[in-house]
Amino acid sequence: MASATGLDRRWIFLVMGVLVVSLYVLGEAAEMPVNEYVQSYYDTIEALPEGTIVMLSADFDPASMAELLPMYQGTIHQLLRNNIRVLNVSTWPAAPPYTRAEFDRIAPQYEKVYGVDWVELGFKPGDDVAMGQIGQSVRSAYAKDDRNLKPLNELPLLNDVSAGFGGISLLITMSAGYPGILEWIAQAGGRYEVPILTGTTAVQTPDLYAYYPSQLEGFLGAATGATQYLQLVGEQTEDVHESRDRNQARMLIQSWVHIFIVLLIVVGNVLYFVGKRSAA
Amino acid sequence: MIALALQDTARSFFDLEAGSADLDIIGGWLVAFLTLCVFSFLYKDNPFYKFAEHLFVGAGTAFFALQYYQEGILEPLRDHIGDALEHQQAGELVQLGGYGVDAGIAIAARCFAVLLSIMLLSRLVKPGGWAPRWPLAIMVGVYAAIKLTGETQSKLVQQFRGMMKPLTSDTAMAWGDNWQNVEQTAAFYTFAQVVLLVGTVCALGHFVFTFRRTRFLGGVSRVGVVVLMITFGSMFGFTVLGRIALLIERVDSLGGLTGDGYQLAGTDGSVMSALTSPPVLTGTLIVLVLLLLKGRRGDGDAGSGSAA
Repeated sequence: MASATGLDRRWIFLVMGVLVVSLYVLGEAAEMPVNEYVQSYYDTIEALPEGTIVMLSADFDPASMAELLPMYQGTIHQLLRNNIRVLNVSTWPAAPPYTRAEFDRIAPQYEKVYGVDWVELGFKPGDDVAMGQIGQSVRSAYAKDDRNLKPLNELPLLNDVSAGFGGISLLITMSAGYPGILEWIAQAGGRYEVPILTGTTAVQTPDLYAYYPSQLEGFLGAATGATQYLQLVGEQTEDVHESRDRNQARMLIQSWVHIFIVLLIVVGNVLYFVGKRSAA
Repeated sequence: MIALALQDTARSFFDLEAGSADLDIIGGWLVAFLTLCVFSFLYKDNPFYKFAEHLFVGAGTAFFALQYYQEGILEPLRDHIGDALEHQQAGELVQLGGYGVDAGIAIAARCFAVLLSIMLLSRLVKPGGWAPRWPLAIMVGVYAAIKLTGETQSKLVQQFRGMMKPLTSDTAMAWGDNWQNVEQTAAFYTFAQVVLLVGTVCALGHFVFTFRRTRFLGGVSRVGVVVLMITFGSMFGFTVLGRIALLIERVDSLGGLTGDGYQLAGTDGSVMSALTSPPVLTGTLIVLVLLLLKGRRGDGDAGSGSAA
């Protein structure tokens, strides 16, 4: 549109910035209807029996934390609240410091013990190959845990995990790109038929509809999915309320910004066709 | 700023998770300054943006190099071989690729991997030699095998299975039962399955180049193009959603830094207090310096190098 009118594109950036800041200062929030994919994600975790082991893979970095960290926090809350044991891994090098901080903050609220209720194995380089290796055998992929650098034999949770995803009832991945959910579907779902849940960035979300429900039990798509999920988790977990309210406010800003962008697209197209007709 | 940090020992020194961690003076100011440095690129390329960019690349490279060395070299060698030696002394088997093997075999496998790595690096000494070809061949072969089995199952077999669904559903509701939940009715189910079938066939038809584009194939291709355009539109919409989410998160993060504890002029709620918060002060500093630079260089290059 900027080229059609000769308008400097920086004016559009400025208006966008003013719009976002103004709406942020107003701080209004709105509840969102929960879609089928998010409900299925939540219900799948709720249906797990106590004591089950879930592998939680943090496949993200700070660039995607705006979308994925709220989902990750909500998922830890739901898992630990339901007394489900968590085996935490990552195929992205920047994720472990953030995941550790979240467990440090959330696990004490449910009086969970490291090594018994959750274990952090940390980053494993190798992308698809690493995923395949973790699937084949956690013990040959990792020699020690990431938090205390203890041999895996000394961690009680690992005694119930065997080769070929043995003992693991569900795989959950917070995926920001490659390697991420599509690789886990191939390496864990395709080869070992492990049920999979995922939370993804907006860029990845359109790819996932083709995998639901046959290869994905449910998924959280972008900030929208995160907000809906936090609404569900927040019904029973007070600690999530602040995060839920913040995400609801962000989604209202999203809605207005989207309206603004749609208006820009419409005006841009009108100007383009009017200009074309005038030139003809 | 440093005086503020030193005054209060309860504040954490360097935790960049603004808004959720303990107050962190230096981290908070850095977050505000670097965020606004990057945003300044929206005006035009400038020294602040360059500084933030180089800092990010340098810090990122150092972090990733350390992580890959720790987890990709040190742990597989030191920890796994140490673990294998312990098992050997205890007379136990070692897990390797899902199988229990003798510790000697596990150690030999690790040493073989080291040998392959050295062979791969030998191209730095003798380019074009035979040695790097063997590990490369193994890597390509293993990667192809790993990808092939999983990808075939997930992206071919399961996708075909997902396509082969009946056009009618016995479990879906009748139209009159609850017409407000249109998505759950049998009529909508049939409609969706028809759209899926026609859309898939037409999109695939668009890529058939073996035959001459007859009127029929041309029509199929045209419908396929429409399906593809709708898909790309959906992807564009989601991409916008993601990018705006990042912007909102940054604004939220900066907003958190205007809260109590970060202002240079104290936290009495006055205008001066708000004006001395990290985003306002660092933003003002960046704008002033950019105006100064603009005044020195003239306005001739205004707009050049602005964000795409």
